[in-house]
Parts: sequence; C-alpha cells; structure tokens
Amino acid sequence: MRRRTAVVVGMAAGALALVAAGCGGGGASATSGVQGASHTLVTSGAKKGGTITVLSNGDVDHIDPGEAYYAFTYQITYVTQRPLLAYKPNSVTPVPDLAASMPTVSKDGKTVTVKLRHGVKFSPPVNREVTSADVKYAIERGFDAAVANGYAGAYFGVIDGAPTKSTNTVPSISGIQTPDKYTIVFKLSKPSGVFVGALQEPLTAPVPAEYARKFDKGTSSSYGNHQVATGPYMIQNNAAGKLTGYTPGRQIILVRNPNWNAKTSWRPAYADKIIFKEGFDPTVGTKQILSGSADVNGDFPPPAAELKSITSNSSQKSQLEFTPTSGSRYVALNTRKAPFNNKYVRMAVAYVLDRNAMRLTRGGPIDGKIATHFISPDFGPTGFNQAGGFNFNPFPSANGSGDVAKAMAMMKKAGYKSGKYSGPQVTQVADNSPPGSNTAAVIANSLAKIGFNVKTISVQHAAMYTRFCNVPKNEPNICPNVGWLADFHEPQTLLDPTFNGKNIIPTNNSNWPLLNDPAINKLMSKAEVELNPETRYKEWGHIDDLITETAAAVPWIWEQFPTLYSSKVTHASELWNEGGPDVSFMAVK
Amino acid sequence: MGAYIVRRVLWAILLLLVVSFITFVIFDVFPSADPAALRAGRNATPALIEQIRHNLGLDKPFYTQFWIYLKGLVTHFDLGYSYYNSESVKSEIFSRLPATISVTVGGFIVWMLIGIPVGIVSAIRPRSVVDRVMMGGSLVAISAPVYFLGLVSLFVFAKGTGQLQWFGAAGSYVPITQDFGTWFNSLILPWVTLAAAFAAFYARMMRGNLIETMHEDYIRTARAKGLRERVVITKHGLRAALTPVVTMAGMDIGLLLGGAILTEIVFNIPGVGRYAYNAITNSDLPAIQGTVLFGAFFIVFANLVVDILYAFLDPRVTYG
Repeated sequence: MRRRTAVVVGMAAGALALVAAGCGGGGASATSGVQGASHTLVTSGAKKGGTITVLSNGDVDHIDPGEAYYAFTYQITYVTQRPLLAYKPNSVTPVPDLAASMPTVSKDGKTVTVKLRHGVKFSPPVNREVTSADVKYAIERGFDAAVANGYAGAYFGVIDGAPTKSTNTVPSISGIQTPDKYTIVFKLSKPSGVFVGALQEPLTAPVPAEYARKFDKGTSSSYGNHQVATGPYMIQNNAAGKLTGYTPGRQIILVRNPNWNAKTSWRPAYADKIIFKEGFDPTVGTKQILSGSADVNGDFPPPAAELKSITSNSSQKSQLEFTPTSGSRYVALNTRKAPFNNKYVRMAVAYVLDRNAMRLTRGGPIDGKIATHFISPDFGPTGFNQAGGFNFNPFPSANGSGDVAKAMAMMKKAGYKSGKYSGPQVTQVADNSPPGSNTAAVIANSLAKIGFNVKTISVQHAAMYTRFCNVPKNEPNICPNVGWLADFHEPQTLLDPTFNGKNIIPTNNSNWPLLNDPAINKLMSKAEVELNPETRYKEWGHIDDLITETAAAVPWIWEQFPTLYSSKVTHASELWNEGGPDVSFMAVK
Repeated sequence: MGAYIVRRVLWAILLLLVVSFITFVIFDVFPSADPAALRAGRNATPALIEQIRHNLGLDKPFYTQFWIYLKGLVTHFDLGYSYYNSESVKSEIFSRLPATISVTVGGFIVWMLIGIPVGIVSAIRPRSVVDRVMMGGSLVAISAPVYFLGLVSLFVFAKGTGQLQWFGAAGSYVPITQDFGTWFNSLILPWVTLAAAFAAFYARMMRGNLIETMHEDYIRTARAKGLRERVVITKHGLRAALTPVVTMAGMDIGLLLGGAILTEIVFNIPGVGRYAYNAITNSDLPAIQGTVLFGAFFIVFANLVVDILYAFLDPRVTYG
C-alpha cells in the first residue's frame, strides 16, 4: 500500500494509510481518471526551460529509490530513476521505461523476460551505460535490511532464491538472471498475476553495484544521499556524487541529468529545474500557488475552505484537478472477538453506520464518493466494473445515512431479541486528532442507535496502527480509521494483503478485521496465479463482493485528491500516483 | 562567584540527564508508534521489522538503550541517528540552529523594544487614556495565538500571499551568510508575530513592577534629594523593576532557542522547532531526545546567565 506523506493537514503523522483527500467536484464517470481538468496534457512541443516549484508539507519518506514508498516521494523518484516500467500521466497502464518493450511471460507463467533499452546512462559520477546487472543489484539490495524496502518480499519474494528470512547483506538471488547486458530474466517459484505490474516499482530502477556497494554496507544504507540518476533529472550533487540538492525537511532541487538521452525516453522534460520546497502550511501553500509564486501542491490537499473558494471562483476553477486515490477508507471489525465474530452483528453495523456523516468529518461530498465496496472507481474495467461498480451496495440506506430498522433486524437474527445489543462495552482505538477522531465519534454515535456502548481509546495515528490495529493480540473490537491504497492498478494489491487469511501476521498485520474465510482465501489463491487479465479482474471483482458481504470491514469513502496548478504552468496529474504532479510533463508557459 | 558557577553547572548536567531519562521513559511507557514498523513500511514482513528493530537497538531493554545513548553522548557528543531518515541528529540540529537563533534573537529585540517602553509609559501615567489603550492592546496581543496572528500577517503583508506584498513569504528564509537582505526581509513577519504576545506580556509586567517600585521609600528619597523625575525613573526605578523582567527574558530566550515551534511552522522556517515537530509526528526518538536535550540545555544555560546578571543589576545580590 503506497501512502501519502506523513504529515497532512489535520492528521497525525506516521504510518498514514490514506490522505485527507480532496474534492468530489464534478460528477465524473466511474471509470474516468483526472477530473475537473480543462487542460490537455502537453506531451510535446511546449516551451523548454524555466523552473517549476512544488510545495509540500512533509518530506520524502526515504530519498533512496530502493526504500521510497510515499506517493509524494514517487514524484521525485520517477523523474530521476527509470524502473523497468512506468506510467504516463492520466494513465494507469504501465508502459516500458527502462525496458525496451513489455515483458514476455512464459506459458507456465514462471519465466518473465525483459529486454532493456540501449543507450541509457547513469548520471555523474558513474557516467556509464546501464546494464541488466544493475537492475539485478537494485532488486537484490531491496532484500537487505540496510535498505529496508517495504514491498520487496510482497512482490519480488516469488523469485526463485529470494531470501525468506531477513538479511543484513545484499543477497545474490539465483532467480534473477542476466544472460546479456540488455536482458534480464526472472525465474519465479510460481506464476504471479501481479509480478509484471510490480516491475513498475522503483525497486527495479538500476543501481550500479560497483558504486553503491560501499554505501550499502552497515546497518543503514547511505546510497540515497549518493544516488545516481537515469531519468531526465537528477538530484543536484557534487563531483563525488554526494547530494547537495537534498536538505531533509527543507528542499529537494532537481536539475537536468547531463547523461539523459531524450531519444531513449518518452518524458518530454520541459523544465530545466524543479524545486520541491517542503514544510508548507497547506493554507499558505495554496495561496502561494494561486498567486503564482509556486506552481503546484506536492503532498497536501488544499484545505476544504480553500477548495470551496477555488471551485466557486470562475478564474481559479480551471487550476484545480481531482484524482481518485485508488482505494478506500473503511471501518474494520475484529472478527475474532465477540460480538463481531457474529456475521449478523457485523451486518447490523454495516447497515447502521451513517457514512454520510462520516464523510462530513472529512469535508463532505467535496472529499469523494461514499464507498459501497473496496475496489475503487478508478480501477474501472480492471476490477471495479466486475465488482458491480456503483450498483453493488449490499447495505444500502437513504443518502448513506444508515438504516436503523434493517440494522435492528440483523441484530435480531444475531440473537438479540430486542434488536439492540445488550453485551459488554466494545472498544475502538482511534486517531487522537481530527478528522479521524471525529469519524470515530460518528461511528460511536451510529452504533449507539443499536445499543452499543463504544469506548474510544485515542492515540496518535501512527501508534493506532503500529501498536494496536497492526498487532492482532492488541487489536480492539473496532479499528475505525483504517484504509488501504493500491500499490499499482491490480485489484490484488488492494484485497490480498488486507483480507487474505494467510496474510494475518503477528506484527505489521494489515488484515485488520482478521478475516480468515476459507472460501475467500481459496478464491484469492486461485486469482493470485491467474495470468489472463480479464479472468483475473473478474475473479477479484467477485472476491471484492464476497468480502464486502461478510461485513468484516465497512467501506465508507472513495476519496479523491485535489491538485492545484498555478496559472503559469501546464497540468500533468499522475492518475496512477494519487494525483501527484508529473513534473517531467509540466511546462512553464 | 566561581564556586557558585561550578555548582550550578554540575546541577545543570544532572538536570539534563534527568530530562533525557524522562524522555526515554515517556517514549517507552506511553503508546507511541513503533519506529521499526514505521521504518519498514506497511507491506514489510515481520522478519524485516525485527531485523530493523535489532539494527536500531530497539530490541534491547530501554535502560540498556538509554545507557548506550548516554555513552555516545558523553564520549562523542553523539546524539544518534534519526529512525526516520538515518540523518545525524546532531548535524540536523546544528544546521537548524542558526535559523532558530535568528528568529529568537530578532524576536527578542523587537519585543523588548516594544514591551519595555510601553510598560514604562503606562507605569508613569497609570489609568491615563494612553495606559488604558496600551494595556488593552496588550491584552489582545496576548490573547491572539501565534498561529492565527502568523497566518493573518502572511495574508496581509507577505509577498505571494498577502494583499500588500511587503515582506518575505513563508518559506523564503535563507541563512544570513547567504543573503542578508533576504534573510532580514524573510524574518520581519516572524519577528513581529513572535514578539507580539511577548511584548504585550513584558509591557504588563514592566508596568506592574515599575508602579510598585515607584512607591518604594528610596524613590521618595531620590525625589526628596531634588533629582529630576526622568533620573528617578531611569536610574533608580527602572533598575529594580528590570530584575524580574531579566529573569523572564532569560527563561523565554532559553525556551525559544529550543525551538519557536509554532512560528517556525507557520512561516516555514527550517529551525529546531520545526525539526522537533517533525520528530514528534514521526515518532523519531533520537530526534525527539536531541531536541528536548537542546531545549533543556538552553533553558538551564539562560537561567545561569540570568542569575549571574543579577549580581550586576542588583547590588543587594552577592554569591558566596
């Protein structure tokens, strides 16, 4: 699950699951991407030169491309590094980047071959051509605890010989083979429906072993501060390769990579320089963008009051674009503990929750659509439609405000004759600051309508995850402030880590409802190895429906992120990256 | 005097150790986030998290962790490395210190230049219209939160976001060594914002102290000697009335040098306060520990300086 930066307005920081996102705005179609955009993406012919200034509230999570995981960090990683595959703005379909063509997969699904482009070079001080060995080293170092990549095990653990235990050295993985300088072959222990999709992760961006190895030694790699680039831009550095353009928490300066060859890339790279200025209050940042003293918001959504003002201002309205955030927020009910080990009690909760009031705690309709299942609308034909799209809603109520009568009927089915809960108090662990704390209050009020007395323990957002909801033995009855975003547009990345029984682990657990339904697990095991995309999306769509019907978790919002551009630049929102700007496609007018 | 200073320094060291220990205990006992899990990311395996926990030394008992920290601190003045981004905490704090000093010293000068004269004027004309206006105004300034005042000042006076576009915008701070003009311009609004509440508080304190002092017997004696009122006030009244002001000033400067958190956040000044804020939100213990220790150091140091200054300000004070 990729995530937005740690510090977003109104939220505690840390292991942030979802961003406080933006604006529902116009009623765009279910499968559309960036909304509200009156600007066409400029892919060629725009003016070259100039400087683009991106404002952010927080810093990147890790400057090392092998560790990077935040959506905001990816805005920098993808224009400085070239993974095997990547996305163009306004698209969720991966295309070859460092790869010369899309990977080929053997019939048994266990061999994936990728051909690399010729003529791609590392930035100074390395200055040599990229080879397949550099991609192999990049992936291998991801398994080293000194690099601590968060998703290597999840997506690349399927490669033959990939470490199953944590290691403090860069392992040699036998299943990554480099028969020649421009070919890399992945031998998998079993077919994987998402492996090709995962090749767009920045872990596949090449790293020169002879240069990086000395930085990767020890318990914490310092390669990030000495990284070399392959993309059109590089983080400013000195002759020895030490970054001079990165000051943690303050700014990141990107300059042109002198070794980048435009003929090998589809990125237009109009601007000469890009400055990411960090530490901005969202209100102040929004005003600066509107005034033209900065160009675009990187990680923070403009505050609700500003959004309302912008959307009602005819001259500013066109500066705003809305992008779905590829996931949903939901309320997780602990299926291992009474009373939520009873399906009918959970269904009663699903009926009674006032999702409209919950949405109001994050700004109302301006924040997004009320969610009725887990695969979000931006998946469109890759799972959302197959799950029933907007028509699939097993727990309907007028305006999403809850249906007490149906909830009481479910409680009666659960054995509560009065239709109201009469057992002991239930506990939820919630954010200690708005908007999460307000959402939790709404949930407690909704549950009170069917007799629940909810005790709320309020903690910092990150502590809510890492000390309580992610640790099954500490998990309360309700985790009201959880959510999940897709790492890339494969529905498996939304549903498998979060609802597959095999993924329940003692720490860092993301299956918050602790759902372990053998029938659903079996279907997931089948879908995981399905190589035919159409069949795979259909299967995951069906799985989405089944999960929703268990009411183990109650989805309540599909959020959108508002990206605000100054009038001095062209627009380029990354649909695949939750709306962040693709600065390599932005031009100064 | 020498013995007194040595004694105070020893106590200060002990105090800093206690502060450091308490920070460790708070982090260990209260439900803060798990740094290893945060570092590993949301898709990481439990094995990776355990390896990171081991690498960071978080699998050791908290007293062992504290001892290792203390040893590094005493032997190498090593404040450790951030759990969040592996940067050296000492380097981060020292690189941010000039910004915090700039905010604090400038703010201090502004609030003293406003607060002391206003206090004096109000004290020598108590209950006059001027006094009432000034004290009423000071009440408003004390009541206005820095966050609110900062945003209002940015939306009225700052380039880029303001109506008048006079002064530097949020995020425009540069080190004094880089460009004095830009440095000065970027700090005008933070100084005024920071100084507003302090100036108001100091004005009220100065007024109260001076009114009280002006009723002392030795003031009456000075007047009886035929001294001019200006001399009575400046030479006799002010000197005594300033002593508590100096005490407070010492405390406040110490506090702000540890990080003027809100001011640095609103105006996006890369100082120690902003670093402390980020450290807290990231559950980054080494950075929290480092900033707490620095804050405590400045408060203790400022107190010591103030106590020594007493001897010069007030002839009745001597140190044995």
